[in-house]
Amino acid sequence: MILLPRPAILLLLGATGLGASVWSVSSAHDDASVRETVLKSEQDRESGRARLGREFYFTRAMYRGHLGRYPSWKVDFPKADVQFLIGVRRLTNIDAYEFENPVGLDDPDLRKYPFLYALEVGRMALSPGEIEGLRSYLLAGGFLVIDDFWDLDEWRNFEYEIGRVLPEYRIVDIPMDHPLLSSFYEIEEILQVPNRGLGAAGGRTWECWNPCDPELRGIFDENGRLMVVINWNTDLGDAWEWVEQPWYPWRYSNFAYKLGINMIVYGMSH
Amino acid sequence: MGPLLANVFEFLFKYRPVVFENGRFVFGAPWPVLLLLGVGLVLLLFPLISYLRVHGRLNRLDKAVLTGLRIAVLGLVVFCLLRPMLVVATVVPQENYLGILLDDSRSMQIVDGENTRSEFIREQFGPDGSDLVTQLADRFKLRLFGFSESIERVSGSDELTFTGNQTRLGQSLDRARAELSTVPLAGLVVFTDGADNSEAPLNETIMQLRSRGVPVHAVGIGRETFDRDIEITRVEAPRAVLQGSAVAVDVMIMHSGYSGETVQLNVEDGGRIVSSQDVELPRDGEIATVQAHFEVEEPGPRLLRFHIPTEANELVEENNEREVLVLVRDRREKILYFEGEPRFEVKFLRRAVADDENLQVVIFQRLAENKFKRLDVDDPDELAGGFPTTREELFQYRGLILGSVEASFFTHDQLQMIAEFVGQRGGGLLVLGGKSAFAEGGYANTPVDNVLPVVLQAPVDDDTDRFFAELDVELTPFGQSHPVTQISGDPATSEERWAELPAVSTVNPIFDVKPGASTLITGSGDGIEDAVVLAFQRFGRGRVIAFPVQDSWIWQMHADIPLEDMTHETYWRQLLRWLISSVPDPVIASIPKDRVGLEERVTITTEVTDSAFLKVNDADVRAYVLPPSGVEQSLELEWTVEEDGEYVVDLVPQEEGLYEIRVSAERAGEPVGEAITYFEAAEPVEEYFGAQMRSSLLRRIADETGGRFYTPETVATLPEDVRYTESGSTVYEEKDLWDMPIVFMLLVGLVATEWGFRRYRGLI
Repeated sequence: MILLPRPAILLLLGATGLGASVWSVSSAHDDASVRETVLKSEQDRESGRARLGREFYFTRAMYRGHLGRYPSWKVDFPKADVQFLIGVRRLTNIDAYEFENPVGLDDPDLRKYPFLYALEVGRMALSPGEIEGLRSYLLAGGFLVIDDFWDLDEWRNFEYEIGRVLPEYRIVDIPMDHPLLSSFYEIEEILQVPNRGLGAAGGRTWECWNPCDPELRGIFDENGRLMVVINWNTDLGDAWEWVEQPWYPWRYSNFAYKLGINMIVYGMSH
Repeated sequence: MGPLLANVFEFLFKYRPVVFENGRFVFGAPWPVLLLLGVGLVLLLFPLISYLRVHGRLNRLDKAVLTGLRIAVLGLVVFCLLRPMLVVATVVPQENYLGILLDDSRSMQIVDGENTRSEFIREQFGPDGSDLVTQLADRFKLRLFGFSESIERVSGSDELTFTGNQTRLGQSLDRARAELSTVPLAGLVVFTDGADNSEAPLNETIMQLRSRGVPVHAVGIGRETFDRDIEITRVEAPRAVLQGSAVAVDVMIMHSGYSGETVQLNVEDGGRIVSSQDVELPRDGEIATVQAHFEVEEPGPRLLRFHIPTEANELVEENNEREVLVLVRDRREKILYFEGEPRFEVKFLRRAVADDENLQVVIFQRLAENKFKRLDVDDPDELAGGFPTTREELFQYRGLILGSVEASFFTHDQLQMIAEFVGQRGGGLLVLGGKSAFAEGGYANTPVDNVLPVVLQAPVDDDTDRFFAELDVELTPFGQSHPVTQISGDPATSEERWAELPAVSTVNPIFDVKPGASTLITGSGDGIEDAVVLAFQRFGRGRVIAFPVQDSWIWQMHADIPLEDMTHETYWRQLLRWLISSVPDPVIASIPKDRVGLEERVTITTEVTDSAFLKVNDADVRAYVLPPSGVEQSLELEWTVEEDGEYVVDLVPQEEGLYEIRVSAERAGEPVGEAITYFEAAEPVEEYFGAQMRSSLLRRIADETGGRFYTPETVATLPEDVRYTESGSTVYEEKDLWDMPIVFMLLVGLVATEWGFRRYRGLI
């Protein structure tokens, strides 16, 4: 969780070619063209033009919580979002808006973005307005991806908060043969994606007090539609955020991009 | 010419108009005409010179008036001396035949005068005889026929029952003419109300009669307009719909005498009222067109009854009701949705139709370059090779949705095949908006462009300046009553609901539709006025809908939309159901009408095509007819030869009730397809619709064949008029004109005028 000025991030991404395998799939784009694209996108962003009429916005949930003085929803923001979107745009043909799109859970505009990402929910403390906003969002057809929360304490907090949102639905395991895991890439194993300070350097990959396994869970509605995907004991966001770094393990960033894209493609078709 | 005017004419001109119409004008003077004209000229010059030479109190005007009057008098005398006459052909008494056709159909039982229409025929042609028949019999050998759906020789009206189920005027005239073709025929006289309901054109009949010189004299019985009557003139309903579909049926109501009054139109399905609405009737003679909206729930053949309760003093009660047979299908119709990129439209469309057991939307989606996903396919092989490349593969679907996928993705053959999917197969094509759709997808001037209902504008090349607009939608007047737009009960509340819906966005600037296309929804906003949001047209056998919107899912997700709201689901289900509602199967069986009379011959027509929807002429086609009694009958259909792939067989229903006809086609032992259709065998009611006396039709037949049109009030002159004809055995009669009363009156009048003028001017 290091915050850099946005232009610096983008230039850095362009200059490094994003190192990881996800960038190697297309050899047609050299560093210069990536840089040019990034700069052009930045100009568009400033003018607001690029935002209009896009199909997909990587929307991050802004919610009430606490992480000292820093709001927990903002972890890895916006670098992880923007870097992930570059991968999404290069690996798929989703017409995705290139930049971050944070929206409050109690903001009526939330319903305009059917895909929602939220992390560090172990520190989530939703207001009544946010509960109502998120509930109506999910029941109307929105798709929520939860990421980067660890151990039982944080689980309990999330379980309590989501229970206030969807009291009538249960959290269940998502089986490995679920279409979510084959919606774009075939994913056969759920990896524990570490944050930059842990497994990335070769040590333990968990942030729990004791070793813990990554879990992929979900909440389905009465028609069997997946409303919420819960990535527990893993940190996909950090893998997106540090993918350009040579020292960040390819294995984790590759998995994080695959699962992230699968969740988006699934969320856009199911 | 009315009877009074005809009498005045005959008094003045000595003869009836028919003599002048049929006669040839000649001068019959025994002296050379030129000599008489020369003498006449001299006589005319005499007063002219006399008056010119007179001087005194006469001024120029006096001279001109007096000279003119004198010349007119002398001219009239010269005209009479020339012995003007008419030479007219008349029949030789008792050497010619006259065919008399008497309408024996049910509509003759209508009482629109003092008595039934048939009463007039009974009076004239009854056993007691009549002046009319006596006079006709004096001149002709009479041959009487009774006609309705068929024609029979009769000896008098006592053989008529006036219960015929149809009036086939043209066919009856043809048969009567053919039967009398070997005898000298002076003409045909038809006594009828002219309420022909055979739907067969009369042109051929009239041409035959005219070319053979057979005049048809028509006696129109009945009133041309009823004082008080309401009639359901027409009901236009789809022949087949999917179970649970919203159905919009156009009902045309005509009336006389109830202008401004409100009546109730009910629709019943199996005795249950499924729709009821008040209809305010327009001015007399105008047709009220209303739309009945309802849903059909139960599968199978449904006999829908459209009914207006009988009003006080209505002349014909039977025409207040019409029945329509609609086949409600309970089957799963497959629609292929090809989307060129991951889009939320896919997700929400799938959710919208997920609970619809009659729709299966197969998704073929491009996720990345050369990476595709298939959803909701029937088997692992379906679309495994990509977007269909053969007609057989594509034509198995009844509908095709094209999302944001550029035209260059397809080969030219595939684009052509998509156009043929609509035009030849009769499939439904829905084109959605998106950055790679319409002109922005490069479809201009492609085969798909040809089938689109909208006009494609040149796309914006600059990617950063691409078009984008958020549009508030509004129904067009046509869209207000269209079945696709009925998202909330009835048209009025649906229209209100549309106005409340949140704006949707488009990246495809489309403002014009092609000639023949219809716009159902327009959108305005962001400085844009009346952009096309939903438009359709028929192309060949199929339908094409353009919906250049990229996020209709906003009608589901927007914060203003309550969670329980079903607008999005209802809209998509109705849109897709309507898209494929008239898509044909490879084998189609049809009956010309829903209701057939007992013993009435009906033709089962079947069109057979193969899986590529190419016409098949060498199929073995059998119809399995299941009458109400349940004893199945098998009939073999024969290829018509005139039409590729068309097979027919005739059937004569013997029992009242619903007939099921299942047609099965095989080719070289392999099944090609099956079709099912129904009809109701019951007492026909056509005779009570459009039952007013159709004088225009009867006048046309008479005028174009050289005959005359009569009514019961004028028919007394018929025996005399019929004499004057060139048909049959005739002689020529000379009719002097010099002694016409009008000549004498003119002569006296001219002389009196001259005297009066002189007196007025003080010249005498």
